[in-house]
Amino acid sequence: MSFYEDTLIAKQDLQKSELQKIKDKYSEIIENNSGKVIKIEEWGLLNLARKIKKYKKAFYIHYKFEGNKETLNEINKKIKIDSSIIRHLVVKYKNLDMKNEYFKKEK
Amino acid sequence: MKRKGKKFQKKGSNSLNKLSLFQKAEGRFGRSCPFSLKNAPVIDYKNISLLKKYISENDKILSSKITSVSNGKQKKLTKEIKKAKILGLI
Repeated sequence: MSFYEDTLIAKQDLQKSELQKIKDKYSEIIENNSGKVIKIEEWGLLNLARKIKKYKKAFYIHYKFEGNKETLNEINKKIKIDSSIIRHLVVKYKNLDMKNEYFKKEK
Repeated sequence: MKRKGKKFQKKGSNSLNKLSLFQKAEGRFGRSCPFSLKNAPVIDYKNISLLKKYISENDKILSSKITSVSNGKQKKLTKEIKKAKILGLI
Protein backbone atom coordinates (compact mmCIF):
# COMPACT_ATOMS: atom_id res chain seq x y z
CA MET A 1 0.00 0.00 0.00
CA SER A 2 1.23 3.47 -0.83
CA PHE A 3 -0.09 7.00 -0.90
CA TYR A 4 -1.46 8.75 -3.97
CA GLU A 5 -2.91 12.09 -4.99
CA ASP A 6 -5.41 12.28 -7.82
CA THR A 7 -6.66 15.53 -9.33
CA LEU A 8 -9.74 15.39 -11.57
CA ILE A 9 -10.69 18.18 -13.98
CA ALA A 10 -14.42 18.23 -14.66
CA LYS A 11 -16.38 20.12 -17.31
CA GLN A 12 -17.36 23.71 -16.77
CA ASP A 13 -21.09 23.35 -17.51
CA LEU A 14 -22.01 20.98 -14.68
CA GLN A 15 -24.53 21.64 -11.94
CA LYS A 16 -23.82 21.34 -8.24
CA SER A 17 -25.74 18.08 -7.86
CA GLU A 18 -23.81 16.50 -10.73
CA LEU A 19 -20.50 17.56 -9.21
CA GLN A 20 -21.55 15.99 -5.92
CA LYS A 21 -22.39 12.78 -7.78
CA ILE A 22 -18.93 12.66 -9.39
CA LYS A 23 -17.30 13.28 -6.02
CA ASP A 24 -19.24 10.44 -4.37
CA LYS A 25 -18.73 8.10 -7.32
CA TYR A 26 -14.94 8.20 -7.25
CA SER A 27 -14.64 8.05 -3.47
CA GLU A 28 -16.84 4.92 -3.64
CA ILE A 29 -14.65 3.40 -6.37
CA ILE A 30 -11.57 3.93 -4.22
CA GLU A 31 -13.21 2.45 -1.12
CA ASN A 32 -14.53 -0.61 -2.98
CA ASN A 33 -11.16 -1.52 -4.50
CA SER A 34 -9.04 -2.04 -1.38
CA GLY A 35 -8.29 1.65 -1.00
CA LYS A 36 -8.92 4.28 1.64
CA VAL A 37 -9.83 7.93 1.09
CA ILE A 38 -7.92 10.22 3.43
CA LYS A 39 -9.02 13.65 2.27
CA ILE A 40 -11.05 15.32 -0.47
CA GLU A 41 -10.45 18.93 -1.49
CA GLU A 42 -12.61 21.00 -3.81
CA TRP A 43 -10.71 23.76 -5.53
CA GLY A 44 -13.80 25.12 -7.26
CA LEU A 45 -14.08 26.76 -10.67
CA LEU A 46 -10.67 27.87 -11.95
CA ASN A 47 -9.47 29.44 -15.17
CA LEU A 48 -7.43 27.11 -17.37
CA ALA A 49 -4.11 28.49 -18.59
CA ARG A 50 -4.92 27.32 -22.12
CA LYS A 51 -7.95 25.73 -23.72
CA ILE A 52 -8.45 22.01 -23.02
CA LYS A 53 -11.02 20.35 -25.28
CA LYS A 54 -12.56 23.76 -26.05
CA TYR A 55 -13.14 24.62 -22.38
CA LYS A 56 -11.79 27.78 -20.79
CA LYS A 57 -12.76 27.03 -17.19
CA ALA A 58 -13.07 23.83 -15.21
CA PHE A 59 -13.92 22.37 -11.81
CA TYR A 60 -11.07 20.80 -9.86
CA ILE A 61 -11.51 17.92 -7.40
CA HIS A 62 -8.49 16.66 -5.46
CA TYR A 63 -8.26 13.29 -3.70
CA LYS A 64 -5.65 12.10 -1.23
CA PHE A 65 -5.87 8.33 -0.77
CA GLU A 66 -4.11 5.11 0.12
CA GLY A 67 -4.25 2.20 -2.31
CA ASN A 68 -2.49 -0.25 -4.58
CA LYS A 69 -2.33 -1.27 -8.23
CA GLU A 70 -5.94 -2.48 -8.40
CA THR A 71 -7.38 0.84 -7.24
CA LEU A 72 -5.37 2.74 -9.81
CA ASN A 73 -6.41 0.40 -12.64
CA GLU A 74 -10.06 0.74 -11.68
CA ILE A 75 -9.89 4.54 -11.50
CA ASN A 76 -8.15 4.80 -14.87
CA LYS A 77 -10.76 2.53 -16.48
CA LYS A 78 -13.69 4.52 -15.10
CA ILE A 79 -12.20 7.89 -16.05
CA LYS A 80 -11.61 6.81 -19.64
CA ILE A 81 -15.33 6.14 -20.05
CA ASP A 82 -16.50 9.20 -18.12
CA SER A 83 -17.29 12.02 -20.55
CA SER A 84 -17.66 14.75 -17.92
CA ILE A 85 -13.99 14.54 -16.89
CA ILE A 86 -11.57 16.26 -19.23
CA ARG A 87 -8.25 15.30 -17.70
CA HIS A 88 -6.65 13.86 -14.56
CA LEU A 89 -3.28 13.34 -12.93
CA VAL A 90 -2.14 10.72 -10.40
CA VAL A 91 1.00 11.31 -8.34
CA LYS A 92 2.63 8.80 -5.99
CA TYR A 93 4.02 9.91 -2.64
CA LYS A 94 5.91 8.27 0.19
CA ASN A 95 4.39 10.65 2.73
CA LEU A 96 1.42 12.93 2.18
CA ASP A 97 1.70 16.46 3.52
CA MET A 98 -1.63 17.44 5.00
CA LYS A 99 -0.63 20.89 6.26
CA ASN A 100 -0.58 23.01 3.13
CA GLU A 101 -3.74 23.79 1.20
CA TYR A 102 -2.76 25.95 -1.73
CA PHE A 103 -6.28 26.44 -3.11
CA LYS A 104 -8.20 27.53 -0.03
CA LYS A 105 -10.84 30.10 -0.83
CA GLU A 106 -9.92 33.52 0.51
CA LYS A 107 -13.12 35.41 1.22
CA MET B 1 25.83 54.44 6.94
CA LYS B 2 22.07 54.13 7.21
CA ARG B 3 21.50 55.30 3.65
CA LYS B 4 23.92 52.75 2.27
CA GLY B 5 22.11 49.95 4.05
CA LYS B 6 18.76 50.96 2.59
CA LYS B 7 20.08 51.14 -0.95
CA PHE B 8 21.59 47.69 -0.72
CA GLN B 9 18.30 46.15 0.43
CA LYS B 10 16.37 47.67 -2.46
CA LYS B 11 18.76 46.26 -5.04
CA GLY B 12 18.50 42.79 -3.56
CA SER B 13 14.72 42.71 -3.64
CA ASN B 14 14.60 44.01 -7.22
CA SER B 15 16.89 41.39 -8.64
CA LEU B 16 14.81 38.65 -7.00
CA ASN B 17 11.52 39.97 -8.33
CA LYS B 18 12.31 39.82 -12.02
CA LEU B 19 14.44 36.86 -13.00
CA SER B 20 15.31 37.07 -16.66
CA LEU B 21 18.20 36.87 -19.09
CA PHE B 22 18.50 40.64 -19.17
CA GLN B 23 18.89 41.36 -15.49
CA LYS B 24 21.98 43.01 -14.07
CA ALA B 25 24.97 40.80 -13.33
CA GLU B 26 24.85 41.63 -9.59
CA GLY B 27 21.77 39.59 -8.98
CA ARG B 28 22.75 36.77 -11.24
CA PHE B 29 26.04 35.43 -9.96
CA GLY B 30 27.22 34.38 -6.57
CA ARG B 31 23.80 33.80 -5.09
CA SER B 32 23.20 30.54 -3.27
CA CYS B 33 20.36 28.16 -4.17
CA PRO B 34 17.02 29.45 -2.77
CA PHE B 35 15.78 25.90 -2.09
CA SER B 36 18.83 24.71 -0.12
CA LEU B 37 18.32 27.13 2.77
CA LYS B 38 16.68 26.40 6.09
CA ASN B 39 12.87 26.60 6.02
CA ALA B 40 12.95 26.57 2.23
CA PRO B 41 9.57 26.40 0.43
CA VAL B 42 8.34 22.97 -0.71
CA ILE B 43 8.54 22.40 -4.47
CA ASP B 44 5.10 21.08 -5.39
CA TYR B 45 2.87 21.21 -8.46
CA LYS B 46 0.06 22.74 -6.39
CA ASN B 47 2.21 25.67 -5.22
CA ILE B 48 1.66 27.77 -8.32
CA SER B 49 2.78 31.13 -6.96
CA LEU B 50 6.22 29.61 -6.33
CA LEU B 51 6.50 27.88 -9.72
CA LYS B 52 5.51 31.03 -11.61
CA LYS B 53 8.72 32.71 -10.43
CA TYR B 54 10.77 30.19 -12.39
CA ILE B 55 8.91 30.55 -15.68
CA SER B 56 9.52 33.12 -18.42
CA GLU B 57 6.79 35.26 -20.00
CA ASN B 58 6.28 32.67 -22.73
CA ASP B 59 5.82 29.84 -20.21
CA LYS B 60 9.32 28.46 -20.70
CA ILE B 61 11.32 27.11 -17.78
CA LEU B 62 14.18 29.43 -16.79
CA SER B 63 17.63 27.86 -16.75
CA SER B 64 19.49 27.38 -13.49
CA LYS B 65 22.21 29.74 -14.76
CA ILE B 66 19.75 32.58 -14.34
CA THR B 67 17.98 31.49 -11.18
CA SER B 68 21.01 29.87 -9.45
CA VAL B 69 19.00 26.82 -8.35
CA SER B 70 21.13 23.77 -7.57
CA ASN B 71 21.29 20.82 -9.96
CA GLY B 72 19.11 18.40 -8.02
CA LYS B 73 16.50 21.00 -7.15
CA GLN B 74 16.33 22.16 -10.78
CA LYS B 75 15.45 18.62 -11.90
CA LYS B 76 12.67 18.49 -9.31
CA LEU B 77 11.42 21.94 -10.35
CA THR B 78 11.11 20.98 -14.03
CA LYS B 79 9.15 17.84 -13.13
CA GLU B 80 6.71 19.75 -10.95
CA ILE B 81 6.27 22.52 -13.53
CA LYS B 82 5.43 19.93 -16.20
CA LYS B 83 2.83 18.35 -13.90
CA ALA B 84 1.21 21.73 -13.36
CA LYS B 85 1.15 22.29 -17.13
CA ILE B 86 -0.69 18.99 -17.68
CA LEU B 87 -3.40 20.13 -15.27
CA GLY B 88 -3.68 23.51 -16.98
CA LEU B 89 -2.71 25.44 -13.88
CA ILE B 90 0.20 27.32 -15.51
